[in-house]
Amino acid sequence: MSAPITVYVADRILTMNPAQPEATHVAVRDGRILAVGGAEEMADLGAFTLDERFAGKTLLPGFVEGHSHVSEGAAWRDPYLGFFDRRDPNGRVWPGLKDIPAAVARLKAAAAEKPEGSVTAWGFDPLYFGGRRMVQGDLDAVSTERPVVVTHASGHIMNLNGVAMRQAGFSAANDLDGLVLDAAGQPTGEIQGPELMGRVRRVVVKDMLSRNLDLDAMRRFGGLARLTGVTTATDLQSDMSEATVAAYRAATQDDDFPVRLVPALGDRFFAREAGIARWRELCASSTDKLHFKLVKLTVDGSIQGFTARLRWPGYHNGAPNGLWYIAPSELEGIISAWHRAGALIHMHTNGDQASEAAVEMLERVLAAHPRPDHRHTLQHCQMPDPALFRRIKALGLCVNLFANHIWYWGEEHIAQTMGLSRAARMDACGTVRRMGIPFGIHSDAPVTPLAPLFTAWCAAMRLTAKGRVLGEGERIPVADALRAITLGAAYTLKLDHLVGSIEVGKFADFAVLDENPLAVEPMRLKDIGIHATVLGGLLHENGPA
Amino acid sequence: MSVPVTILGGFLGAGKTTALNALLRTTRRRIAVLVNDFGAVNVDAALIAERQGDMIALSNGCVCCTLGTDLGEGIARLAALRPAPEQIVIEASGVSDPWRIAQLARLEAGVTLDAVLVLADAARFAVLLADRWLSDTLERQVARADLVLLSQVDRASRSEIVATRDALERIRPGVPVAVLEPDSLDALFAAPQAEASRFIADTPPLHEFRHWHWAPQGDFAATRLRAALAALPASVLRVKGFVHLDGMPHALQQVGRRTELVPWHGARQPNRLVLIGTAEMPPPDVLMLQLSVALLPASDMARSRISS
Repeated sequence: MSAPITVYVADRILTMNPAQPEATHVAVRDGRILAVGGAEEMADLGAFTLDERFAGKTLLPGFVEGHSHVSEGAAWRDPYLGFFDRRDPNGRVWPGLKDIPAAVARLKAAAAEKPEGSVTAWGFDPLYFGGRRMVQGDLDAVSTERPVVVTHASGHIMNLNGVAMRQAGFSAANDLDGLVLDAAGQPTGEIQGPELMGRVRRVVVKDMLSRNLDLDAMRRFGGLARLTGVTTATDLQSDMSEATVAAYRAATQDDDFPVRLVPALGDRFFAREAGIARWRELCASSTDKLHFKLVKLTVDGSIQGFTARLRWPGYHNGAPNGLWYIAPSELEGIISAWHRAGALIHMHTNGDQASEAAVEMLERVLAAHPRPDHRHTLQHCQMPDPALFRRIKALGLCVNLFANHIWYWGEEHIAQTMGLSRAARMDACGTVRRMGIPFGIHSDAPVTPLAPLFTAWCAAMRLTAKGRVLGEGERIPVADALRAITLGAAYTLKLDHLVGSIEVGKFADFAVLDENPLAVEPMRLKDIGIHATVLGGLLHENGPA
Repeated sequence: MSVPVTILGGFLGAGKTTALNALLRTTRRRIAVLVNDFGAVNVDAALIAERQGDMIALSNGCVCCTLGTDLGEGIARLAALRPAPEQIVIEASGVSDPWRIAQLARLEAGVTLDAVLVLADAARFAVLLADRWLSDTLERQVARADLVLLSQVDRASRSEIVATRDALERIRPGVPVAVLEPDSLDALFAAPQAEASRFIADTPPLHEFRHWHWAPQGDFAATRLRAALAALPASVLRVKGFVHLDGMPHALQQVGRRTELVPWHGARQPNRLVLIGTAEMPPPDVLMLQLSVALLPASDMARSRISS
């Protein structure tokens, strides 16, 4: 006696399988797709339960977020201070804050709710405040007794109140790179860069954005995934400590947790041999919902933080070139070790010089140790020109482009980092599509919100927050953008045989949409409601919006 | 008691690990080193007394510990060791700017910044400096170094050494440059515990450095002493000591171009300076002439005791 069969019928099923792009029925047995098509394909399955709850809805493969961090779940323990509206794991939308008094008001409310200890908040985004920066005095208005620490959306800047500055030991007397001073030489309360921010986290607010992921953070992340249609997500920089792995296991063993997790072992957390040994051990323990296979290398910093490595002509505003987190001269050895171990390498390269160095070293390693279908992937990969993309194509690399940047930092890139001409070629979905390079697009949550439909909208529209189209020629059709957030991303994770499309044999992972994304005005793509997700045949419904 | 922290920087392959290995083998002081990767530090197995997780205790009292993801935590662990180390040495990663690490180390309780030493491979520095991917990284490492030590000198040609020295002078004008010898680090950290009055004219057995000890009586004028110290030639690698400035006791420490005069609240002691320099350091009478102009007139130079 085989397991029961459920047949879901929907207004439309967008399969991502070009041989059968659309369907109306999908049959599920044992958590997997048994058949897809119309009534005819269901007729020979034997007895089944017809489930019509998705009538009028559009089914897509569950979305695959190829570059996110589960810490997005932890972030929501603190108030959100961003400029743009953002939805929390409970579905509540936090309205964007349009000036500093609004941010201070939200902080005061948070301080009142939590009468002791530090007051911390995240996502602060003063880019569109007409040049006004937050200063220590603004945050002293929140408290002069407790430390107040605000992290910017870019992830590279913090604002501190006087108590926090004192506790961290930051003063005009220190010669400190990253301590912002006013015209009179006094600290403004703003600090920049991972070094000083790391000190604040360690000394002032030990509990903020807890570096140890726990089950609570996982569950919040799961809530966001359900709200946004995500059924497979990466945790793309994991320390793979016992505690972290235990939290992955506990979360994914729970049927209520609606996500397949793909954590990437962060090379920087391990000495080389120890890292490879840990990776092997973890790979052997993968499950249907927990896939250990990726390794993450971080080659440079970020463009908006001016720490990415850029080729000529460098930063538009003349800022000095960024930082190597791995020297090109040691990159080859690191890539080689992981490649020969059989790992799938995902490499963070933001600037084009970092991408170039990665390509060059991959070229050497692949020439010495060819491996078919390696699928090594350049993450972010925001700046290559077509010539560098041709080398990427020739090596069989994948890319995962940071499409959300166009909306969130497009204006900043035009004015500060790239200038209009180079900014127009950033996150070049159009180019990689034309060249046939396998690609995904991503949010890097919590850097930008986990929301693949929004990411697809960014890739299709390329609008900046001021409403200008940045790089018309790099726009892609909605159908391709949808492929990028499903099968495209799954391919970069080497999970395209399991997820990313609605085909017989794959996991029954669906995103259930209120409208057909191919039928709505592209401008409305990001606004389509996510009714539910299905993971391995289990339903995860969202409440009424 | 505050533990001095030295940052050892330099690009990959500059010889940081070799220098640290030599230091751990030869030092007679209790030194704690924070390294990036244990694997690279090839501690003589016979020297290892105990291994605990990411910390190795050596039989000579030294400790070696890997730098985790947080520099401050690493420093705090070492500073809390009992007995406390006499010196902490942090190996900067090959791509980092060692001065940035120094800035952060300085914020930690229980330690004071001693110096930022940067190693430069005499045979490869000029070549690396021309590399399209690496030039600015190397420049940044040297741009704020207190002192540069040339490594691999025996493998380098004369012209390579000249090119390296020229490049260093261009990036960091006036920075003292010395040749790295197996016990250079130890010699730079430790002013020999000699009699304050003793003048060591001979080159100590293993390294090329010279020391000069001076114990003048009286009081220095703060501004004049700063000027006199700043005017010392680049062959003076460092100055350590204890001086009275306008009647107030101060600890003095100078490495390369950086001078720190910190008010002293401990037990009173007489003026005492130690200069450590290369073989080119001027002779004692010249040095004394340069520094004694900073003494206040009331002080009688004739009363300063100098002996050889």
